[in-house]
Amino acid sequence: MAFESETKKLQDALISCKVPDIAKAVQEAHDAGMPAEDIINALGAAMSDVGVLFERGKLFLPHVLSAAAGMKNAMNTLDDELKTSAGTSQAKGVVVMGTVEGDVHDIGKSICSTMLQCAGFDVHDLGRDVPLKNFIEEVRGGCNFCGMSALMTTTMVGMKTVIESLKAEGLRDNVKVMVGGAPITQAYADKIGADIYGESASETTKKAQA
Amino acid sequence: MTEYYTRMGDGKRVTMTKQQIMDDLQAGTADAADMASVPSLDANELEHLAEIIMCQDRVVGVTPGNEVVLSYDIGQLDFTGDNGNSGNGVDMGRLEAALLHERALGADTFELAHSDYSIKPVKPVIAMEMQTMEEVQAEIVAPFFYGAMPNQGLYYAPDGPYGNPADLMREFKIEESMQQSELASAHVTRDIEYVATRLQAAGSDGFNFDTTGSAGDADCVGTLNGVKLLREQCPEAYIQVGFAGESIMGIHGMIEFDGQVVAGMYPHQYVHIAEKAGANVCGTVVNTNTSKSLAFNMARAVTFIKEAVKTSNIPIHADMGMGVGGIPMCETPPIDAVSRCSKAMVEVAGVDGI
Repeated sequence: MAFESETKKLQDALISCKVPDIAKAVQEAHDAGMPAEDIINALGAAMSDVGVLFERGKLFLPHVLSAAAGMKNAMNTLDDELKTSAGTSQAKGVVVMGTVEGDVHDIGKSICSTMLQCAGFDVHDLGRDVPLKNFIEEVRGGCNFCGMSALMTTTMVGMKTVIESLKAEGLRDNVKVMVGGAPITQAYADKIGADIYGESASETTKKAQA
Repeated sequence: MTEYYTRMGDGKRVTMTKQQIMDDLQAGTADAADMASVPSLDANELEHLAEIIMCQDRVVGVTPGNEVVLSYDIGQLDFTGDNGNSGNGVDMGRLEAALLHERALGADTFELAHSDYSIKPVKPVIAMEMQTMEEVQAEIVAPFFYGAMPNQGLYYAPDGPYGNPADLMREFKIEESMQQSELASAHVTRDIEYVATRLQAAGSDGFNFDTTGSAGDADCVGTLNGVKLLREQCPEAYIQVGFAGESIMGIHGMIEFDGQVVAGMYPHQYVHIAEKAGANVCGTVVNTNTSKSLAFNMARAVTFIKEAVKTSNIPIHADMGMGVGGIPMCETPPIDAVSRCSKAMVEVAGVDGI
């Protein structure tokens, strides 16, 4: 395998979650002649490992963000070269995220937004207690994923309202609807016609990437 | 092949063979053992869990003489709250709810709670809470505490004065995010001292800190520092510290209590910091995976908590209810699952209370 040593160094640096170490490994790989696209792919693979370590409680949110910051810096450094490789520098998709109207719980949703951002999605986090019409407006504006969170059985019904409104306005087929939060289950997601149910932030991210 | 009625983590009724139940029990204990680096359950323990699940009685229980203490959280809200708030929608006063729990429901302890069930909103109504505490104490015999969640989320924007770490981190302002977490954590400590010492002065037998660490590791540290102050100022207070999950979420990642990073601690580790802070009882929590079976969730929860019981110097009361302790996540947790998980937690994990 070409650039085996550089690939390992890149991945070790990313999993260490230290921004200067990631920058150093990227520079060394680049100096050794490793193509920019391969450098980013190697970092992307390690980012998946970081996600697994986060899910298993071995790494924490600031670590994940530091790894993502290192990867973002690498993309900026290699920007010119990447522009010649089709698609690699583009976001994987635009995601709108929010906790539905009436519900002020946003920690789980925020972790999910962060993980999606780290995975390369362009995330528009609308926050919490988001009026249902705002999700519709965002979808009309052209996002690929609409993520809704709720922590209460009294508010989760808002997800169904949003999906029905998307259908009524002819927007449903333009977007994948993701739902999650403590009272949400796969059965509820199926019942209201959501496309993706996420048990955790990592699972949601994996399903969005699939 | 015989199939047994059991449930999924979302409460759905399913049937499984003994082999399927055993496979899920194995997977559940293996998952917990791997995550927390603790021993998995042995063959006899798994067989006992399988028997509990396969028993086709509607409700199961422990043998006479092996009953455990039942302490309660959420105060009167289990009656007065709507069903989205773990309640039954039955309106009543706080005194009536306390006496009903003591005299009809077998509660060994009970507590007074604000309808928001968080520390912060108690501050402006502290005089009312003190007055009600005095009134209830005049009638109740069981130990009667005050209960609330530290809920550090209320201290971050848009609810509080500190920057929201989740928002800051998404802008890669990681140091600033950590700093804001630390400031909010110190504020939680101050509020706990303010609220808890006043309620103790009003006659409370103690304080139940519910869902500690729900906003992450800084929330946990803020709470434990508050517990420490309460213990220093009220040495006789009975303090129960219940946690928010099987692992302390690392939103800060490096904040410490008593020289130890708390992020990523599992029940057998966090019981010790609760004890150091001054807790009399630790409430251990394991969240339910709604996509997995009761067998998986029960074995997983028992594995985490058994190790906590083994290593703890203070009593462990497992948090058993909607979406915790292996019990399915649904509005009204089914009694067959509640009683099975509770029996397993007593007979295999060896908890002191529920």
